[in-house]
Amino acid sequence: MRPNGRPDGGDRAPGAGTARKAAFTPVDTRARVDTVVRRIADAIELGLLADGEQLPGETELAGQLGVSTVTLREALMALRQQGLVTTRRGRGGGSFVTLPDSPPEDRLRARLADWSTEELRDLGDHWAAVSGTAALLAARRTQPGDLRPLTRTVDELTAATDPATRGRLYGRFHVELAAAAQSARLTREEIALQTDLGALLCLVLDDPSHLAVLSDRHRAVISAVQDEADERARTLAETCVRESVERLIALRLATPGRAAEPRSEEDTHGQEHRARGARRGHH
Amino acid sequence: MARSTGLAGPAGATTDTTRGGNGTAGPARAVVAQTPAAHPGTGKAVPMTAGHAHDGAAAPDAGPVAEVVRRVRDTLEQVFTAVAETGADTSALLADVSEADRAPVAADLAALRPGLRARLAALPLVSGVGFVAAPGLLADVPGCLEWWQRGPGGAVRPLLLDLDPEHSAYSDYTHWDWYTLPRETGRRAVAGPYVDYLCSDEYGLTLSAPVALAGRFVGVAAADVYLRHFETAVLPALLRLPVPARLVNARGRVAASTDPAHLAGSLTKGPDFAAVLDGPQAEHHAGGLRLVPCGGVPLVLVTAAR
Repeated sequence: MRPNGRPDGGDRAPGAGTARKAAFTPVDTRARVDTVVRRIADAIELGLLADGEQLPGETELAGQLGVSTVTLREALMALRQQGLVTTRRGRGGGSFVTLPDSPPEDRLRARLADWSTEELRDLGDHWAAVSGTAALLAARRTQPGDLRPLTRTVDELTAATDPATRGRLYGRFHVELAAAAQSARLTREEIALQTDLGALLCLVLDDPSHLAVLSDRHRAVISAVQDEADERARTLAETCVRESVERLIALRLATPGRAAEPRSEEDTHGQEHRARGARRGHH
Repeated sequence: MARSTGLAGPAGATTDTTRGGNGTAGPARAVVAQTPAAHPGTGKAVPMTAGHAHDGAAAPDAGPVAEVVRRVRDTLEQVFTAVAETGADTSALLADVSEADRAPVAADLAALRPGLRARLAALPLVSGVGFVAAPGLLADVPGCLEWWQRGPGGAVRPLLLDLDPEHSAYSDYTHWDWYTLPRETGRRAVAGPYVDYLCSDEYGLTLSAPVALAGRFVGVAAADVYLRHFETAVLPALLRLPVPARLVNARGRVAASTDPAHLAGSLTKGPDFAAVLDGPQAEHHAGGLRLVPCGGVPLVLVTAAR
């Protein structure tokens, strides 16, 4: 992004921040269209892609994401239907980021509606497994000073006023927890999970009472890790994660007008999507 | 270093025990050959026996132990050399800008690139190297890492970080040990092992040294060594020891090990390793462990006491 604190950026486009790089890393072969839509929409929602910014060309973007141009075009179509991307033809044309005028919360709710409750539950299971194990290992491997970052993050989380900042800090806590576990793999896993979760978590962090509960729970995780109470740390971290995802699922169920159509079966296989008509949720 | 900042890295980091300042290699000292009278013990909380005549220079494994110490020191000293060169380049560059009577800007740091690329090309052990500016040093940006690293395919690339606090929860890099230790002590330091989620997402060590301009701290020069590469460099020497062994940092974090019960990343609790590193260059015993500081670099060789 622009004020990225770097000189002109060497051989790469200026402003490819790490989070932004994560947005453009290859997605796996399952559910490609949906994944591409979510990635780009999340990047826009989190401000990683700015209003009016031009996306890379179709071939380049497809290459960066590791999907075919057909898949990318389907994803861009869905993004256009969501109003997040405008495509202009001809000279100086291309796909541009457009931030709709609707309030961010409405847009995030629309994003949430792209997830089924089953997918959210599974995402929560994955996240709980990673954060729970991270807490357990951190408790076994902690030393004085390891926990300062986590304490600072909870302090900042408690003081943060806007949901987007809270979402970033929530994610940072879990990344730091995995780093305290001395595991690069768990840390990378947390970073990847935040790519999916980051924008959505803003929704549950809007509620001051939940934020207060979350801050307390995170402090309890820190205490358990500090006490080297590994199983307690694991349980507490899992509880944090599950409660947030349960709230997300409750919000998803309360989001009207997005009754899910059956997903096309290709989503769970490694094949290319057939062109589909109006995508679930975008008619 | 890793992804973004905002926190003191969960690193076990330590300042170098070398006396005599930034980037200078400590004098090559015989580490295990001291006589009992030469070191009175540290007097710290950890009980240590002062000197063990039966374990002195004539001990049967003095050779392999000395070899480990030499190997560890040589491995890290070559990285410190790259750090010192980067720091010297940066100082010279900033002095030039200062003489031209203007404030440095981020683009000025581009002049460091040939040197950074050359160091990465010359040192396979180093996976990332660069200069990290103190906030406020550069006139046009709040913070900056002129940082180059080797990618998965071996290609050398600049690290492009989003340091805008509006977008990134990791924009403040001034809490990481590789930054705070040189700033606070004025000396070179080894941070880690730690997971670097700011730059590399790897588990490793970051060696760093303060950079000063007219006596003022202006940032740190640093280099990353991934732990798997460090292990490759020191494991052969460790394996020649007759007993399982590990190298631990000042906080007891294991950096390399031939002991399946005490693997890299785990903690060795009990001994005050910082005191061992601050104390005389000699062998210590504590809690049934034999501790040998790796002369000049902040790692301690740990084996079972015999």
